[in-house]
Amino acid sequence: MRSIRRRLVVGLLITLLVALLLAGIAIFRQARTEANALFDFQLQQMALSLPAEPFSSVPGDHNDAAGLVIQIWSRNGVELYYSHPRTPLPPRAELGFTTVQTPAGDWRVYAALVGDNVVQLAQPMVIRDSLAVSMALRTLLPLVVAMPLLALLVWIVVGRGLQPLRRVTKALDARAPGALEALPEAGLPDEVRPLVRALNSLLGRLDEALVQQKAFVADAAHELRTPLAALQLQVQLLDRAHTETERAEAMRDLRDGVRRASHMVAQLLTLARQEPDVARAATAFVEVPLAPLLHDVVAHHAALAVARGIDLGLDAPEALAAISRVRGDANALQTLFGNLVDNALKYTPRGGHVDVRLVAATPAPVVEIEDNGPGIAPAERERVFDRFFRGGAASADGGAQGHAAPPSGAQTPDHTGDTDDTDDTDDTDDTNAPRAQGSGLGLAIVRNIAQTHGARVELFDARSGQGLRVRVSFGGAASTPLPVL
Amino acid sequence: MRILLVEDDAMIATAVMKGLRQDGWTVDHVGDGQRALDALSAEAYDALLLDLGLPRRDGIDVLRTLRSRGQTLPVLIATARDAVADRVKGLDAGADDYLVKPFDLDELAARLRALVRRQAGRSEPLLRHGAIVLDPATRQVTCAGAPVVLSAREYAVLEALLNRPGAVLSKAQLEERIYGWGEEVASNAVEVHVHGLRKKLGADAIRTVRGVGYMMPAPGTTSAEAN
Repeated sequence: MRSIRRRLVVGLLITLLVALLLAGIAIFRQARTEANALFDFQLQQMALSLPAEPFSSVPGDHNDAAGLVIQIWSRNGVELYYSHPRTPLPPRAELGFTTVQTPAGDWRVYAALVGDNVVQLAQPMVIRDSLAVSMALRTLLPLVVAMPLLALLVWIVVGRGLQPLRRVTKALDARAPGALEALPEAGLPDEVRPLVRALNSLLGRLDEALVQQKAFVADAAHELRTPLAALQLQVQLLDRAHTETERAEAMRDLRDGVRRASHMVAQLLTLARQEPDVARAATAFVEVPLAPLLHDVVAHHAALAVARGIDLGLDAPEALAAISRVRGDANALQTLFGNLVDNALKYTPRGGHVDVRLVAATPAPVVEIEDNGPGIAPAERERVFDRFFRGGAASADGGAQGHAAPPSGAQTPDHTGDTDDTDDTDDTDDTNAPRAQGSGLGLAIVRNIAQTHGARVELFDARSGQGLRVRVSFGGAASTPLPVL
Repeated sequence: MRILLVEDDAMIATAVMKGLRQDGWTVDHVGDGQRALDALSAEAYDALLLDLGLPRRDGIDVLRTLRSRGQTLPVLIATARDAVADRVKGLDAGADDYLVKPFDLDELAARLRALVRRQAGRSEPLLRHGAIVLDPATRQVTCAGAPVVLSAREYAVLEALLNRPGAVLSKAQLEERIYGWGEEVASNAVEVHVHGLRKKLGADAIRTVRGVGYMMPAPGTTSAEAN
């Protein structure tokens, strides 16, 4: 039975019926007690009115209606009168009131000495019981008759009581799929308001999530245009290529373009997966030893570092390494540190160094990644964590990490032109492009992962003064806003 | 025709430069708004190809500054921002045309040609001068109906001269038209190209104004002198 209304009506009616039944029983018992007293009194009176002398005439069967059985004996035990000889009553009773059980039911018997005779009157109890029953029924009957009316009334009242719920339902039904504004709480009964309030809070969170999603999708669609535009142009150049060299070069450019577009899509997916959802993420968290994880990250990037002529190293003192643990998602943490190392490698010039350092383990681990690249200007240190932010750099370095030095050579624009229209060999842009062209998502991913792990990411100048030092400190409260530096 | 490309994405910039150079354009490239303004105040360009989302100075900002300086060169915005509001804003800020990324190289070149043509006050796509007809779209030149084969540089010199018939262009102005930044310019390059053109189009096609430069004589004078 799913309907509250029906359940209420049926419940109320059953309760009412049980109450009536109990009341009936109570009335019956009460009525019987009273009837007993009354009839006993009547028996007594009748006994006293019977003739006291032997052989005096016995009044006719005026008591038949009351089902009375009268017996009279003389003092010496001779039966003088028996009104209903076939009644199965014990031949002799004690004086006073007794209740006698016979095959024909219970009898109330009263015996008394009246003059010289022993008089005994007996009456079946059934008479008294039926009187009590009819009395109880008479009292209850109007109530029983009124039950359907009562049910109808309850039905209507409950229906009206549930009206606010129906109003809320209708209001929700009439909504457009995107309409997530709060429902009005005014005028709602106390029972419904918590439900609506909870619903409103959910709607609010949904709205927020939806707005974030929309912004994300819009940003993503917009940002994907750039690699796609590059691809389209590169394909056209490939189409136009006349000589084998031109074709090979166009092919190489196109491959770089495809690689960049794929990288961007992959980063977008990672970012979408790492959107802060602390409640959900925390359930999958396990104890992760940090030192082996950092070791893996550095090992993973070693080949790249060697190829770029950069000295990449891990500095995790034994004492700290043994006890540094973080509650989290190992894969996400690997992505976090991987992105930071990747970024450092991307911007550090050949011959530079990148150090991953475990600097503290208690109360919670702190990791630093330091490079001696161009660094990030203090003014940009917060914005670099924004999605798709690319540093205010010149054309060759479009990644998130810009130049710390003030823009030099404002008077001398890039000399990116070729020396000859037909000479396609010289292209400094191309060799730099795939290297420094970031998706603008790496640090945004880092921020999201840090947030779900309750870690803080801060940017400082490198200790040597030249370069960037990224500090990841665990153990903060989840969803701590990024510090303003 | 020499244009300035302002684009912060290196891959797109490289591809656009290659494509436009194949079409005979001379292209300079800068990656941010500030450098774009610096370049525009230092050099004379026939058109500006402008991205909007730029580091240091936004494209709209560049455009407004450019127009407030009184520079009237045609500006084509090429950007990923495709909202109507953005287009309106771009055109109102002084752009002559608006192209949304991703775009087609051929369309880009055609729009640039149209912009340059309108700037020169012509709506007819062909450049005519006496018997000489130059089609910027196909880069074909005919003289008295017969096709003439020109090198890329020769073509650039001829186009520059035909765009301003009757005007004298200095050697430096012509060099600027046909060489981008960082390109090696031989000291007598312009003379060599003019010589080549005269051989193919007739000795009278281009007049030397000694000590000043070169010109295409106005049509009237040509016929008069030819007689």
